[in-house]
Amino acid sequence: MASVTITNVWKYYGKTVAVKDLNITCNDGEFVSVLGPSGCGKSSTLRMLAGLEHISAGDIHFGDTRVNDLEPKDRDIAMVFENYALYPHKTVYENMANPLRLRGESEDLIKKRIAFAAEMLEIEHLLQRKPMELSGGQKQRTAIGRAIVREPKLFLFDEPIAHLDAKLRARMRGELKLMQRRLGTTMIYVTHDQLEAMSMADRIAVMHNGVLQQFGTPQDIYNHPVNEWVAGFVGEPPMNFIDCDIVDEGGKLHAVHSSFKVALTEGHAKLLNGALRDKSVRMGIRPDQISISVGSGSGVDGRIKLTEPLGGDTLVNVDLKGADQVLVKTNPDFSGAMDQACTLTFDTSRWHFFSKETGVAYF
Amino acid sequence: MVSTGSGNAVSTAHDGERYVEGARVIEHMPASLNAVPPSRYYLWLMAPALIVLAAISIYPFFWLIWMSLQNVGAGPEVEFVGLKNFIKLWSDDKFWMGWILLFKYSFFCMFFEITIGVFLAVVLNGHRFENILITIFLMPMMMAPAIAGLVWYYLFNSTFGWYHWLFQSLGILGETSIIGSTETAMAGIVMVDIWQWTPLITLITLAGMKRVPRDQLEANMVDGASAIRNFIAITLPNIYPFLLIAIMLRFMDNFRFIDVIMRLTGGGPAEVTKVLPVYLFDVSFVYFKLGRGSAIALTLLIVTIIFGKLLVKVFESPASKRIDQGN
Repeated sequence: MASVTITNVWKYYGKTVAVKDLNITCNDGEFVSVLGPSGCGKSSTLRMLAGLEHISAGDIHFGDTRVNDLEPKDRDIAMVFENYALYPHKTVYENMANPLRLRGESEDLIKKRIAFAAEMLEIEHLLQRKPMELSGGQKQRTAIGRAIVREPKLFLFDEPIAHLDAKLRARMRGELKLMQRRLGTTMIYVTHDQLEAMSMADRIAVMHNGVLQQFGTPQDIYNHPVNEWVAGFVGEPPMNFIDCDIVDEGGKLHAVHSSFKVALTEGHAKLLNGALRDKSVRMGIRPDQISISVGSGSGVDGRIKLTEPLGGDTLVNVDLKGADQVLVKTNPDFSGAMDQACTLTFDTSRWHFFSKETGVAYF
Repeated sequence: MVSTGSGNAVSTAHDGERYVEGARVIEHMPASLNAVPPSRYYLWLMAPALIVLAAISIYPFFWLIWMSLQNVGAGPEVEFVGLKNFIKLWSDDKFWMGWILLFKYSFFCMFFEITIGVFLAVVLNGHRFENILITIFLMPMMMAPAIAGLVWYYLFNSTFGWYHWLFQSLGILGETSIIGSTETAMAGIVMVDIWQWTPLITLITLAGMKRVPRDQLEANMVDGASAIRNFIAITLPNIYPFLLIAIMLRFMDNFRFIDVIMRLTGGGPAEVTKVLPVYLFDVSFVYFKLGRGSAIALTLLIVTIIFGKLLVKVFESPASKRIDQGN
């Protein structure tokens, strides 16, 4: 077990910068997910942790040990690769035994550890098979088993379930989380799937263009995104963004758009500093924070463009006046038809305002 | 035709279709299968190639068998002798010596070529100047073997040969040229073969190394393997089929390419480099005993085929198919 400290780490490939001045501290036994789109530097970060890439600048510590110059074999880590990376000519048992064999452990211990891991992963009946005889999910379990038997200080998972089908992925999410809790080993889990990160991690590090955007609990990142990019990346369906003006009317601040004028709560008004009045901002609101009713009423006027019933929910695309469009998530018995007029109500306690220039959140 | 879906768990007799737990069960076969094009069609397409092959390869092969049963000289008279040519070979010391020398020659060539070739491939793989260096290394291979023989003949020359001077300065050689001494002549011809054909092994191995899965190498590194163990555990099994191809090519070449040996030593001195193909050349085209030459050629051919088959068998064994079992 160990904590992981990443201090001012940079990664250059030639002149391309993959990771810029990264600082992450991960506590002992914590499940940290590194989330971001492809090319955001998350895999480079993981590979630097594993010792598979040179650290261009900065330091990485496991506990109190600086690991920059340690070979992967000396870092006491276990990694699960995106493509499983099983040894095709070895059986499942031999694949799992490999890390222990390389460390010269006794056959008794190897047997015991594999029995434990195989039971936990429910692959006991596959131990004598070769990887080519396994399904994707079974390969993945084998790869995870190979990581578990080591009982390492740190688990590194590189999009381990990205190639499984949706149903299996949902199941593996739960299983991986349970497994990590049971073993209590520090885990760094790289993914581009925000659902995986949200559902499994204790804390999420959101990365974009090599820069750490936000590091916090899933609730924190969902409810208090630090900038427009994080707000847009996390959450499914994504957050709606509408440009509007802040206008002071009778001592109260209002968000004004060609199709609505909504008052800000007192608390939010305080957070927007005075200099912002009469300025344009970007408002962000999640689809489930808007309620919709058919027909015109007191609220935000709109026109239904399209409805997408998903079974459990219904998504409604609504045209506002001007060029803006919002997506609303509502209950399945919503009965609006295309081109019908509708009224929206924003949950003003949970919306977000971002600077139009920098994208930084005011609240 | 399709179940209405709403609570239709019980099987419906509609059109004789059966449902098990809501899923349709199909028990009938398709009405007819689509026709497969007749193989005759492909035979016609291949006919021209087959005819050419028969003319240049199959006909001479049977002619060789026929000749090996005759006493054929330079003149027109031909006499059927049955298996006499083969029986005579049995007591022919030069024939057996030819085999021993051929195996010795092939073994040394192959051993050094593969060791050096694989080493070079490992060094070159992923090197910044890989493309330029491999092009330079490949140059000896592009040279006609007869020309290579001539070049090395001069390099080995005891009067003005640069290599001879080098070896002499190092105290390895005396006055006699490397190919002039019975002790070192074999080493001389092996050296030329290594010089010319190691690049081929490097090239083939490099191609194999491009297919070594990087994630397996990395997984093994994280598992705790050192660079050498990683090479043995992951790289070697993956380049093994490529090495077999290289061995097969080189082994067959060694059994038939005698250009360099003819140019350098002609089988001498004192016949220490008279490998079987050189002896075959002597019998057939120096003494013009074509019947006997054919018999030697036939034994050489049969052994080559047997070895080739063995190698193919190893090649087809499950162990060598590792690269195809990728995840």
